[in-house]
Amino acid sequence: MTIDPGALAELLEESQDLQADALRPTREALDELVELHRADGDGTNDDGLANATFHDEHQRAVSASLAGATLLGAAGGAVLAGVLANSAAAASSRDVQVLQTAASIENLAVMTYETALTLPYIGGSSANPVIKTFARVTMGQHREHAAAFNAALFNLHARAQGKPDPAFVPVVNRAVASLQGASATAGALGVVGLALELENIAAETYVRDTVLVASRSNRALLASIMGVESQHVAVLLAVQALLQAGAPQLIALSPSTAAALPGVAGRVGFPNAFYPTTSAAPASQGALR
Amino acid sequence: MSQHQSNNPWHGTERELAAMTRDLDDLHHDVSQPAMRDGLDAVVHALHEATPRSTSRRNFLRGAGVGVLGGVAALAVPSLAGATARGRGAGARGAERPAAFPPAGLSGDLAVAAVAASLENLAVFAYTAGIGAATAGKLGSVPPAVVTFATTARSQHTEHAAAWNAVLRDHHRARVTEVNPTLAPVVKSDFASVHDVVGLAKLALTLETIAAETYQAQISRLVSPAAVALAASIEPVEMQHVAILYYVLGEYPGAQNAAGVPLAFSSTAKAQ
Repeated sequence: MTIDPGALAELLEESQDLQADALRPTREALDELVELHRADGDGTNDDGLANATFHDEHQRAVSASLAGATLLGAAGGAVLAGVLANSAAAASSRDVQVLQTAASIENLAVMTYETALTLPYIGGSSANPVIKTFARVTMGQHREHAAAFNAALFNLHARAQGKPDPAFVPVVNRAVASLQGASATAGALGVVGLALELENIAAETYVRDTVLVASRSNRALLASIMGVESQHVAVLLAVQALLQAGAPQLIALSPSTAAALPGVAGRVGFPNAFYPTTSAAPASQGALR
Repeated sequence: MSQHQSNNPWHGTERELAAMTRDLDDLHHDVSQPAMRDGLDAVVHALHEATPRSTSRRNFLRGAGVGVLGGVAALAVPSLAGATARGRGAGARGAERPAAFPPAGLSGDLAVAAVAASLENLAVFAYTAGIGAATAGKLGSVPPAVVTFATTARSQHTEHAAAWNAVLRDHHRARVTEVNPTLAPVVKSDFASVHDVVGLAKLALTLETIAAETYQAQISRLVSPAAVALAASIEPVEMQHVAILYYVLGEYPGAQNAAGVPLAFSSTAKAQ
């Protein structure tokens, strides 16, 4: 598949206009959120144990996914324990916690894709054009998601979360560092594995959070994003399978290419009939103190 | 079923990928389904506590019916566009819609459950019809990935329908076994004009989009937290179906507008 850069730029510009239009109803919903939030009780709680458990599990998951590409040695869970220790008491209400954590996850995703796009096999001229376009578009979408969550926080008179999720920053940094000497194939697999893990955490977190938040408008905001993240997961699962199978030429957007896909490629992108939440991040993980 | 077998560069790795998929299936059965059953128990209890919403039935019908038809029209398929135009006329589609759906006695979240089950049944119907047509050779050459997609998606929609019907059953309500009566005539009519894989994929894309957007809309309207959780666990899966269908069609694999521009926020325009 060939992608016309001019046409893509035009599409992206149009996308920005559309997003601005699309955000209008979201802003209206956010106004409602302010009202609803004022009626909410204080949902403060201590999620320290949940944070630690989550961290340990995902530390293993991320390490495992990257180890498969022989890119990252096991990163010690202790590295992150200190980072997480201070998040336990960070909360003023459940909705604020959820929104700040969501923004931190989005910031982390933006940071990860930004870095990935500096790698020649992801953002360079030799990169697969579909992967490159996907990374660019997805990074922009995560930036918009972060902005939407922070806009909701602003309307609640709560502080915006401009930093990435503290639980994963060291892990992502180590992963990126280990990618420097990797071959194009191994490096691409490592990036895809890392992105897949982050996207899935985002999707699962928002699925779970639709029940946690008090405001229906917050629920609507989360619902408008979680499906998009789940689509990122589906695409990354397909791309990962094709890379692992040594068939990068099938990572292409063309009906004729699709015709050459093996049967299992038709289902690898959606392994669960019901989206799980076992990997959801604790609600307070990215909350500000 | 006619399937492309030639020029498949995956000959050497198909077995490996199939094994991986089996692992995923096993994981799904080991983890996802038991978790789902637990979730359904929670739904049953929570729905007992949920306050029925007097307007939900009409609202949901508006979302899953007329609004859905609007979404179908966005594909610019002439028959569907015509049906939508008629549907927007005062009571025009009322003559085609059975008088009592959701069934009498259902309101609030249970009415949503009934309509959700009917939408899932419609998806199962459509995929079954598509697989049947492919098997009969009516769609020409069918790529293996499309076959697998259809059978897997149908299986998942069957599970979704079962989940909503379990909720109804546990509330001593009758299971919903019929397809959504508002959309069924349109889908059946449209299916009659499907003659190839592209047409089938586009029809599936329409149905998956309708389902995803309808769930998304209902997530902020449902009362019971457990019902919210169930709807929220299904919406992303329908969205994944959408993404893969776009990929199969050779288009950008994600939420997008009619012009193919990727969207950061999924819409509910087709569900309202």
